[in-house]
Amino acid sequence: MRENTAGNGKDAPARVAVVAAGVVSPMGFGLGETLDSLREARDCITRVTRFSVTECRCKTAGQVPDQRLLDERRVAGRSTQRLHRTSHMIIHALGEAATQGPGFKPELTIIGTTSGGMSNGEDYYRSLHRHGNLRHSPTWIANYPAQKPVIDAQEAFGISAPCQVIANACASGTNAIGHAFECVRSGRYQCVLTGGYDALSELVFVGFDSLQASTPEKCRPFDRHRSGMVLGEGAAILVLENLDAARARGVPILAEITGYGMSTDNFHLTQPDPCGVGPRRAMERALRSAQITANAIDYVNAHGTATLFNDAAEGKAIAELLDRVPVSSTKSMMGHSLGAAGAVEAIVCLLALQHQFLPPNINFHAPDDGVELDVVSNEARPAALRTALSNSFGFGGTNASIVMRKFEV
Amino acid sequence: MSLAIAGMGWITPLGNGVDPVWKRLLQGAEAFAGKIAEQFGDQSYSAFRVPDSALASLAPHPRLRRASAISRFAAAAGLEALQNAGVKFGSQNDDRIALVFAISNGGVIYTKRFYRDIVETGAQSASPLLFPETVFNAPASHLAAILGITGATYTLVGDSAVGLLAIRMAEDLMTNDSLDYCLVVGAEEVDWLLCDAYRRWRLLRLEPPVEPFSKIERGMILSEGAGAIVLARQGSLMIERTHTGGYFRKRTEAKEILKRIISDLAESKIDFVISSANGTFIDQAECRALQRLIPDTIIYTAKPAVGESVGAAGLWQVILGAQALGRGELPPLLHLASTIPLRVPAARMALTKARHAIVLSCGVNQQVAGLRLSIP
Repeated sequence: MRENTAGNGKDAPARVAVVAAGVVSPMGFGLGETLDSLREARDCITRVTRFSVTECRCKTAGQVPDQRLLDERRVAGRSTQRLHRTSHMIIHALGEAATQGPGFKPELTIIGTTSGGMSNGEDYYRSLHRHGNLRHSPTWIANYPAQKPVIDAQEAFGISAPCQVIANACASGTNAIGHAFECVRSGRYQCVLTGGYDALSELVFVGFDSLQASTPEKCRPFDRHRSGMVLGEGAAILVLENLDAARARGVPILAEITGYGMSTDNFHLTQPDPCGVGPRRAMERALRSAQITANAIDYVNAHGTATLFNDAAEGKAIAELLDRVPVSSTKSMMGHSLGAAGAVEAIVCLLALQHQFLPPNINFHAPDDGVELDVVSNEARPAALRTALSNSFGFGGTNASIVMRKFEV
Repeated sequence: MSLAIAGMGWITPLGNGVDPVWKRLLQGAEAFAGKIAEQFGDQSYSAFRVPDSALASLAPHPRLRRASAISRFAAAAGLEALQNAGVKFGSQNDDRIALVFAISNGGVIYTKRFYRDIVETGAQSASPLLFPETVFNAPASHLAAILGITGATYTLVGDSAVGLLAIRMAEDLMTNDSLDYCLVVGAEEVDWLLCDAYRRWRLLRLEPPVEPFSKIERGMILSEGAGAIVLARQGSLMIERTHTGGYFRKRTEAKEILKRIISDLAESKIDFVISSANGTFIDQAECRALQRLIPDTIIYTAKPAVGESVGAAGLWQVILGAQALGRGELPPLLHLASTIPLRVPAARMALTKARHAIVLSCGVNQQVAGLRLSIP
């Protein structure tokens, strides 16, 4: 690892390239399957099978199929077979990135998560509470720390970069990518591995259910009749590299990250300020960071959780700042994967820029009163895209936006 | 990039405030270890808790009304650090200070209560009031709201090394001219569940003392509280260099990473090292690395006196290092094994013209980091 002790990187902001990416989510394993799901506007929400939801209002989620993960485990070999499914999701995402852009050597890894290894913590607590079999408790406990799946995945590919795990609730993935972008742009790092992960856990599922933030119905972001979010899970990895260094290596450039903005909205622990000031500030800062004006944005991948409060505040901020820009929330298709969401949605933007289409916002039937948005309703649309903006907002009032641009020499 | 420590805040089982805690450490005080029991566990554990009296001076705030103890600790330390630094901000500069929050287990007391309701009586009894406090960034959110920070707020999760990783992150953030200060806070609260988990992992001792650098790993005692530092670009006490170290797969690999860190940070003379020795496998890993590379340097750890505070530990160590450099002395190292192949302060020790120190943080969950403190 290169320890930069000279200078503060202020001389010339570097351009930041995305040189590799990988994803696993309810929309599919890998970029190809994800692209197919987006183009076909697939509804990837299913009934929850990982734990009992009998007493919950909401019964569905976007889930990564266990059988597929199990198959991947077999392929990955014996050394990884005992790992938790969270680790396997990241291993799959990192594996795809490694295949796509071999030869990258990250100096730092910055990953976002919301719940870390909570599902392991639950297993331990439940057994403890019921005086059950605690034979596996050391394994559950060992897998609980949030950095563990990241280290497992790095280990599987011989990467030894130090890990920073950002837990800014549902903004974590975008915060991780944004901070990684700033690390490379400042010149202090040449290559940073970034992304996000979260696996479905009972505690979090019941938590959102108790807040009545999740819905027993379909997830309908920005729809007048929206009734709440549906949870999801997944992992996504992006490799960010100094553009000049990447070109010198001769690797394909998938896209550029050009801007990042974040804000803290101190209105309430779980609710955004209804006037949309937090999201607006994050987007404005991202535009300023990218040195572009609002009319340069061709597409917004919204946070769009389909809760009454988020979509109203975010919709207002987007409508005020960006004039009739196409907007979609792909959470409508796969649910809200919390710490992974920002990273998965960055991949969605990447695919949209590469393949020149607008990803759909499914289950959209009626626009919300008083919010003028061009929602990409129900079907993907072909479009000439140069610049996309991706939003993620979370509990604690954290708001983050990144700007991604199609790579042009 | 060097950054100055412009202010510090500290709340520990030995009390609230940098000066009071430092004074007690110099006196050779050891925190009181209270017993923690739980209805469904036969085993009780010892832990160093922050006494209620330590939080008596914390002004009430609506955000703290229902907040977990960890948020109160963070508020106490964060407010002291900002006051100590003389930083005042309002609407014109509330986005020119960033907050980086280091955490390990989060608001575990509320997390346990929330999940206990689900396990005992089902999902329908889950409390919507408790759930938001289970999120890792809840304490950072409360602190940002109390202070009025509207810019960058990050929560980093990790083991005992997370405090130093948070300082490294602050250093990266401060390359941006749009920031004047970065407040770095590390906090932890103790619960029976954590004690039990570490015990099952064979890292916890049932009763004090914590015996540092002992060849027999008898284990650590968990602790709680918070530490905070305000980083600025100029000042008299510098974090000259941070080292993100890396991670170890097996415990036996920790020594090699520590050696790399020490080797990189000890390029100029080092007067003393604030170690993370806590009675576990870490002690021998650090001992061997230090013995090999800087055998004549004085080594100190406060963990026998105040315990292992995990998410807060790195910040506590930096505060200790800064105090020792600034005040020119080290507290006595408690509960020493009779033979240790290191130079340690068996009694309160004056440090003549000490200008450089290393802080080492080796966590029990695979992360290692370090930094060098200097008086220019």
